[in-house]
Amino acid sequence: MSVPTNPKIERKQTQVIWKRSRKAKQIELNDHMVKVYVWELPVRIFHWINAFSILVLMITGVFIGRPFVSASIQEEAYYSFLMGWARYIHFFVAFLFTINLAVRWYWVYKGNEHATSNPFRLSFWKEAFETIKYYLFMKNNKKHYIGHNPLAQLSYWIFIGLGSIIMMLTGYYLLFEPQPESIYGKMFIWVAHLFGGDSYSVRSWHHLVAWGFIIFTVVHVYMAFREDYLQRNGTMSSIFTGYKIERKKEVLGEPNEK
Amino acid sequence: MKRKTILEEVLDRGFTRRDFLKMCTALAATMGLDFSQTDQVVAAMEKNQRVPVIWLQFQDCTGCSESFIRSTHPKVESVLLNMISLEYSEALSAASGHQIEAALEHVLEHYPGEYILAVEGSLPTDDAFLTVGGVSAKETFLRAAKGAKAIIAYGSCSSWGGIPAAYPNPTKAKPITHFVKDKPVILVPGCPPIAEVMTGVIAHIITFGKLPELDHLGRPKAFYRHRIHDKCNRRAYFDAGLFAESFDDEGARQGYCLYKVGCKGPTTYNSCAEMRWNGGVSYPIQSGNPCIGCSEKGFWDNGPFFVRRAKIPASQTTINPETVGAIAVGVTAAGVAAHAMVTAMKKKDEHHDRGE
Repeated sequence: MSVPTNPKIERKQTQVIWKRSRKAKQIELNDHMVKVYVWELPVRIFHWINAFSILVLMITGVFIGRPFVSASIQEEAYYSFLMGWARYIHFFVAFLFTINLAVRWYWVYKGNEHATSNPFRLSFWKEAFETIKYYLFMKNNKKHYIGHNPLAQLSYWIFIGLGSIIMMLTGYYLLFEPQPESIYGKMFIWVAHLFGGDSYSVRSWHHLVAWGFIIFTVVHVYMAFREDYLQRNGTMSSIFTGYKIERKKEVLGEPNEK
Repeated sequence: MKRKTILEEVLDRGFTRRDFLKMCTALAATMGLDFSQTDQVVAAMEKNQRVPVIWLQFQDCTGCSESFIRSTHPKVESVLLNMISLEYSEALSAASGHQIEAALEHVLEHYPGEYILAVEGSLPTDDAFLTVGGVSAKETFLRAAKGAKAIIAYGSCSSWGGIPAAYPNPTKAKPITHFVKDKPVILVPGCPPIAEVMTGVIAHIITFGKLPELDHLGRPKAFYRHRIHDKCNRRAYFDAGLFAESFDDEGARQGYCLYKVGCKGPTTYNSCAEMRWNGGVSYPIQSGNPCIGCSEKGFWDNGPFFVRRAKIPASQTTINPETVGAIAVGVTAAGVAAHAMVTAMKKKDEHHDRGE
């Protein structure tokens, strides 16, 4: 059964871009606790396909850039196809990554309130600043967020949003550059002008931003475990089940007792 | 006086019409035309007159001129003597001093809109670095560019800035496209460009009376459509994952891919792998040297020749992305560990304060 929300408090929450975004489903457990369906199925599927894609793309990508293993025996070229397979897997997963992200963008419109955020509001930045102070162990007014805190949301806009767009544009340019006359070649030829003009500059962007994803992953995984450790609200299991266990008064927006 | 057509010039020099047709066929092949288009070349050579060419040299090494005179198909003498009329060239003109300057003036005055301007070398934005006879390089160039039918930028220096524009670029060198905006400019980059490409571009303009089809960066598609990598004779070894690790290992001896010894073929657009050099004899990768990417923008700044690097955007600095990336991830992991320790200590304190 769903819990009625307090309209007075609701206004203070970070507002999202899409006014039509739904409230997250809630299930009352007892007088104090409530189960909130934070990450809906498409978000969870996106998350794990994305995580898998980044892992595979990184391993194959580093291999393509710097082949760390070679065919072990001296032989003729026609016996093996190691780099060919690495590239094939890289391209295949790149398409998976793209489709996956496209679905996630759709879910920004269709998902619940936790599926998006609005960095074009002043409150977003104010709350992000409070969150930074919180992570630097300074005195802060950070609220407890059921979904992502604004700093986390910002990191998604930068890495999963902007970073992915840079990787896809430069990546598809590199994939199709041998066929500039083809329709795909023409679709991405303009990318070169955006990233320095020559193939080498485009490639450099692709290599450097790739490592940004790994740095993001390290921090992201740490932050998730830390949240789980401090809040004891099932943050880690929520990315599998979708549910977080929250105190009812926090879901209703009543101030923290701390 | 009526100017002679190219055919008449050829016949005057004692060649037969048969020789002329052979020349046209070779020319068509060089320009990347289909065999069936040979008749268009023949028709053009029968009707068109020789085209006056002014060849200016600025911040260059004359390497492009040196490459040009090694053209085999068409032979440079046939280009020079039959198709073009090279009116002014510092390296090739027999005349010198006032005589050659007068020849230049003659072309500028009598053939406006007809002559082709070939430029070798970059231009300094600071005139102090290149002023000849009291006239700055910029002035010389702009004066010649004004009446030109088309401008050909021969070599990486005039196309991209090249070595004079490499870090730290003391002369503030710029490509010629920086100085002239209202003229069609064909970029023929390379350090130097392949001789047949250089003559092929001129031949195309003479044959069809218009510029060859250019790509998004202004290079003729016929010669810069493919990467070295895509036409490389060692490509099969790349796909197989067979790489030479150093210049003296078994892989190098077997002719394996030179990717790991810094081959820039995957980022370099040129026709070395198809046309090859010195009349199609060989090209760097075939003879065991990785491509240095000399026809690419800023090639001198794209890292040392024999290692793979990535360029930091908007800089002239290259780094090893894997090493720097791994270090950055290591630093992040250390930061995370420190943060986790502080978090755990704080939490313990809180428990302690609450008397748990």
